[in-house]
Amino acid sequence: MKVRVDPEKCVGHGRCYELAPEVFGEDERGHCRVLWEIVPPQLEEKARLGEANCPEDAISTSEV
Amino acid sequence: MPRPNPDPNTGALNVQDPAFAARPQPIYAWLHEHFRVATTLGLGAPILSRYEDVVFALRHPKIFSSEMEVHMALGNERPMIPQQIDPPAQTSYRKILDSQFSRQRVLALEPAIRRHANELIDAVIDRGECEFDRAFAIPLPGRAFLSLMGLPQEHLELFLELKNGIIRPPVPPGDLAAAYEFRAKTSKRIYAYFEQVIDDRLASPREDLVTYFTRVEMDGRKLSREEILDICYVFFLGGLDTVTATLGCSIAYLAANPAQRQRLVEDPAIMPLAVEELLRWETPVMLVPRLVREDVTIGDVTLKAGTLVNLLLGAADVDEREFPEAHRVDFNRQRNRHLAFGAGPHRCLGSHLARMELRVALEEWHRRIPDYAIKPGETPRVSPGIREVTYLPLVWPKRGS
Ligand code: HEM
Ligand code: SF4
Repeated sequence: MKVRVDPEKCVGHGRCYELAPEVFGEDERGHCRVLWEIVPPQLEEKARLGEANCPEDAISTSEV
Repeated sequence: MPRPNPDPNTGALNVQDPAFAARPQPIYAWLHEHFRVATTLGLGAPILSRYEDVVFALRHPKIFSSEMEVHMALGNERPMIPQQIDPPAQTSYRKILDSQFSRQRVLALEPAIRRHANELIDAVIDRGECEFDRAFAIPLPGRAFLSLMGLPQEHLELFLELKNGIIRPPVPPGDLAAAYEFRAKTSKRIYAYFEQVIDDRLASPREDLVTYFTRVEMDGRKLSREEILDICYVFFLGGLDTVTATLGCSIAYLAANPAQRQRLVEDPAIMPLAVEELLRWETPVMLVPRLVREDVTIGDVTLKAGTLVNLLLGAADVDEREFPEAHRVDFNRQRNRHLAFGAGPHRCLGSHLARMELRVALEEWHRRIPDYAIKPGETPRVSPGIREVTYLPLVWPKRGS
């Protein structure tokens, strides 16, 4: 699975890195930084949890 | 006969109605069913209440602007930064402010907040009762704010007095002129207070926020003194009452719903999710205003440029189209994109701080006073606008009895 964050949409709610710190990190402004280009299978559910909780629809996942 | 609220024919909603503030969720549901665009009683401002409409407005500041004529209503002498300005100017401010309010930064304050919470509990626990707003919900965010700003805790009383002078000026209800005058006087005192702090930090810099403001560069220049004052002013107004209101709404809900409370007591690990769900359900900042800048159509209603609109965050947060079983409070909700802190560029700057304060406060309160209830025969009172539970009498078994 691939996970991407759109920096134009992200405003730093931090829901992703709070709920799924294994997949999402934060920059110095508290905006999202994706930690994996390709998410390892055991973390795919976490990636989806982050995606589902982003109030800006900034995160997207896709199968590779 | 009191007027029905909202008016069933026109959808006009009295947002100042205390009954609405006390239990807004059924009214939100009614709006969802009958009026995609309702109106504000008195002001006439259209009201958006669907999640999809509210989030669209919050994300499109070119259409729904935060720069409004009414911006002096809270005693401020200039627009509030960053709340009452639009991108791109607002973005420049957020770039220098966000880093100071990141989750990393606020976690450093956690031990101090935990200590403050425990001191407040120490003062009441043996009595077996308290009025929660005065005993806990008001002083805790005040103490947190002083810690955040690097100001002495002895200034708490002064701060609370100044804040009340703005939020609830002690004048006869409905006397708008007197309220305006009192706010203007109080705001002068607030500006004067922070003027002194700025002078002091210029003379003797420290590791604190105000010192940071005196040094930081934004777009290649330093902040003016007025800008620093304006930022302090909005922190002061935005950072105190909101947390107070959320604490009160949360404890009032948990006091009335012992099974839900029991879950928190038994499994404190669910606290972060419970905080989000309580924020969603209560949404204490129930609405935010915007000024329409370009004609825009919502459903079959066209909002004309120049119209003031109210975005009913509270209603968006119980919209079944976004939240399955929206009217069930579920501490295990897996998808919760609530708008209690807004969204888009004006997303609450203090959201990470607020979340930490709420989590720590609820953890400590339930660890030490797990078994509380609303005092028999009493009814809590909730203020409109920001839903502060201004009267919340609680009782619990005394220790040893
Ligand atoms: C649970 C507590 C809180 C709630 C429910 C809350 C709610 C909100 C909401 C809904 C907005 C968006 C306003 C809009 O879009 O017009 C906002 C903005 C803001 N909040 Fe909070 N807030 C809370 C705590 C705090 C704290 C602790 C601070 C501390 C400094 C703070 C500072 C701000 C600031 C500066 C803004 C303006 C941001 C901007 O316009 O860029 N808030 N808040
Ligand atoms: S939840 Fe969305 S908006 Fe918030 S930090 Fe993550 S990606 Fe950004």
